[in-house]
Amino acid sequence: MKPVPKLSSAFLHAACDCMPEPLLALRKQRASALVDMPLPTRKTENWKYSAKYLKLSDDMAISLPADGKTGTSLAVPGYKVVFLNGVMIPEASEFPDLDGITIESFRDLNNDDATALSKKLGGTLDHDQAQFARLNGARFEDGLLIRLKPGAVLDQPLFIIHETHGDASGSAYPRVYVEAGANSQMTLVEEYTSGGEAPVLVGTVTEFDVADGANITSIRLNMEGENVQHIGATGVLQARSSRFESHCVGFGGPLRRHDLQVRLEGEGAETKLNGVVVTQGKQHYDNHTAIDHVAAHCNSEETYRNIAADKSHAVFNGRIHIHQDAQKSNADMNNKNLLLNSGAEIDTKPELEIYADDVKCAHGATIGQLDETSLFYLVSRGIGRRDANVLLTMAFINELVAQIPVEAVRETAQTRLNEFFDKTFEEA
Amino acid sequence: MLSIKNLHASVEDKEILKGINLEIKAGEVHAIMGPNGSGKSTLSQVLAGNEAFEVTSGEVTLNGENLLDLETEERAREGIFLAFQYPVEIPGVSNLQFLRTAVNAMRQHRGEEEMNAAEFMKLAREVSKQVDLDPSFLKRGVNEGFSGGEKKRNEILQALLLQPKLAILDETDSGLDIDALKVVSDGVNALRSEDRAILMVTHYQRLLNHIVPDYVHVLAGGRIIKSGGRELALELEEKGYGWLGIKDEEDAGN
Ligand SMILES: Nc1ncnc2c1ncn2[C@@H]1O[C@H](COP(=O)(O)OP(=O)(O)O)[C@@H](O)[C@H]1O
Ligand SMILES: [Mg+2]
Repeated sequence: MKPVPKLSSAFLHAACDCMPEPLLALRKQRASALVDMPLPTRKTENWKYSAKYLKLSDDMAISLPADGKTGTSLAVPGYKVVFLNGVMIPEASEFPDLDGITIESFRDLNNDDATALSKKLGGTLDHDQAQFARLNGARFEDGLLIRLKPGAVLDQPLFIIHETHGDASGSAYPRVYVEAGANSQMTLVEEYTSGGEAPVLVGTVTEFDVADGANITSIRLNMEGENVQHIGATGVLQARSSRFESHCVGFGGPLRRHDLQVRLEGEGAETKLNGVVVTQGKQHYDNHTAIDHVAAHCNSEETYRNIAADKSHAVFNGRIHIHQDAQKSNADMNNKNLLLNSGAEIDTKPELEIYADDVKCAHGATIGQLDETSLFYLVSRGIGRRDANVLLTMAFINELVAQIPVEAVRETAQTRLNEFFDKTFEEA
Repeated sequence: MLSIKNLHASVEDKEILKGINLEIKAGEVHAIMGPNGSGKSTLSQVLAGNEAFEVTSGEVTLNGENLLDLETEERAREGIFLAFQYPVEIPGVSNLQFLRTAVNAMRQHRGEEEMNAAEFMKLAREVSKQVDLDPSFLKRGVNEGFSGGEKKRNEILQALLLQPKLAILDETDSGLDIDALKVVSDGVNALRSEDRAILMVTHYQRLLNHIVPDYVHVLAGGRIIKSGGRELALELEEKGYGWLGIKDEEDAGN
C-alpha cells in the first residue's frame, strides 16, 4: 500500500513577519497543527473527484513576492482594494471614508484590534471540510479587515482585486474578514486574476460574521489563468434575521476549488447562494457548498449551474445539514449541469442530513446536453450554428448572470463567457 | 421556385415519404392535405433540413439550386421558412433576442447592416400587433408558456419578420379558435405576393376558407395521390378522405 501523501514541510514556513504580533502568534500556532497534514487522494471523500488535479511541488511553497507592479489600474464602480500575491497594495487602493466603516490591512491593525481578530479568524469555517483553509491560516501575510458598525451602510460596492503574479513558482494566501454589525449592509466583490506563467498556488479564505439584521452581498469572480491552482474557502456565520447573498462565477483552470460554508445560527436568517461554473479544454472546477440550518425559521436557496466543454471536469457537492432544533427550516437546492461534449465530465452530489421533523427541503440535480430540437428550431430561422449554440448555452445560465446585482461585474462575467464561447464553439 | 422530384425519406429506417413530386412557382399558394400520419410534417421537416429524417433518394431544388446540399441555416437564408406544427419552447432565450438574432443573420447574409436593439424593438412591436400578440410576449422566453394559439401566432410573426421566399405552414390552423384563425390567416395573406410561394400543410380545410389556395394536393401513405384546384379541398370537406379510398387514421400510411 502506498503511504498517504503529506503536505511537504516546505509549506509550513511563512516568509515575512510583517503583521502585528497577535496575528503572527496565531499563524505560528496554526502552522504547528499543519505538520504532517495528509494531502487529499481520491479516497478522501470531499476531494475524490478533484485530488488528481492537485499538483503541489516544493518550489510552490515559496511566498510570492508582493513587490511587483499591479496590473490593475482598472476603474471600478465602487471602492477598490488591490491585493498582490496576498498582500494589500495601498497605492493601488482607494478606501471609503465613511462613518461607522473601517477597512484596514491586517498589517496596519493596532495590537488590540489584532488580538481581537486573532480570536475570530477561522471561526466561521469547518476546517475538516475545508482542509486548505488551515494552510492559509499558517501562511497568510496580510489580509483585509472590514468592520461595519451597527447600522452602517456601505454606499457602493467594495471591490477587492486579488492578483497573483506567477513570474516564478510560489504561493499566495489572501485573506479577508468581514465583521458586519447589526443591520449593516454592504456588497463585497472579489475578483481573482493572475499574471505570469509559472505554476502557483492560491489559497484563499474569506469570512463573513453577519450580525442580527445585517444584509450582506458577496460576489466572487474567479478568472485566474492556466498556471494557477486555486483553493479557496468562504465561511459565513449568520445571526438572527440576517440576510446573505452570494454570487460565484468561476472559470475553470488546472485546479479550482471553492468551499462555501454558511451557518444559519439565528432565527429568521436567510441565505441565497448562486453559482455558475464554466470549464473547457482540460480544465477543472469543484464547488463544495455546505449550509447548516442551526436555528429555526431560516431559509436557504441555492442554485448552481455547471457547463463543461471539451474534456473538462466540473464538480458540485451541495451539503445541507438541518440540525435538530432547526424547525420550520426551508431549504431549496438546485443544481443543473450541461455537458457540451461527450468527453466532458460532471459530478454532482447532494448531501442532505435532516434531524428536525418540521422542515421543507427540496433538492434536484440534472445533467443534460444541448437540446437538438431547440437547436434545429433556431437554425431553421437562419441563425448560425455557433450563435444557436451560444444562445442555448447562455440560456442555461442567463437567469443567474442577470441576478448579479452589480452591472460592471455582470459585464465582466459576460465578456469572459463570450471568450469561453468563442473557444468552445469555434467551428460549427 | 420549388421543385421536388421523386423524394424518398425515412426515419429510423422506416420509409415515410415514398416518392413525392411537386412543383411550386413563385406567387402560388399550394395546400397539402392528408390524414394524420400520411407524412405531411415529415415533408415539411425534410424541406427545412431536419437531420432526424434521412433523404434516401430524389431531388429538391429551390430556384434551381440543390436544396438538399444546404445546411438548415443556409436554407433559411435562401428563403425557406417552416412554421412548425409544434413550435419549440426555449426558456432562457428571450423571444426578442431570438427574433433579432434571426433577422440580423438574414440581413448579414444579404449584405445589409444589422438592426440595432432600438430599431428592432420598434419593428417587432409593429409586427406583434399585426398578429395580435401583446408586445409583452417579446420579453418572454421563446414560446415559453405560450398557449397553442399564441405559439402559432408567434410562428406567423417570425414569417412576417423574415419575409421568406417559400413559407411552409405545418398545421398552422390547428388548435386555433375562430378569432385566432382570422388573425393567422390575415398574416398569411399579408405574406402572399408575386415573388413568394406558400405551402400550407393541413388536415382540415377550414383554413382554406380564409386563404384560398391555387392548388390542392392530397398526401396519403407518403405519396401525393391526387392534385387539383381549390374545389378539391371542398370535395374532401364534404366526402372525407374515405372517398379516395384511404382511411383518416394514424395507420393510413401503411
Ligand atoms: N421522429 C420520428 N420517429 C419515428 N417515426 C416518425 C417520426 N416522425 C414521424 N414519424 C412517423 O412518420 C409517419 C408520418 O408522420 P408525420 O409526417 O408526422 O405525419 P402527418 O404530419 O401527416 O400527421 C407517422 O407514421 C409517424 O409516426
Ligand atoms: Mg403533422
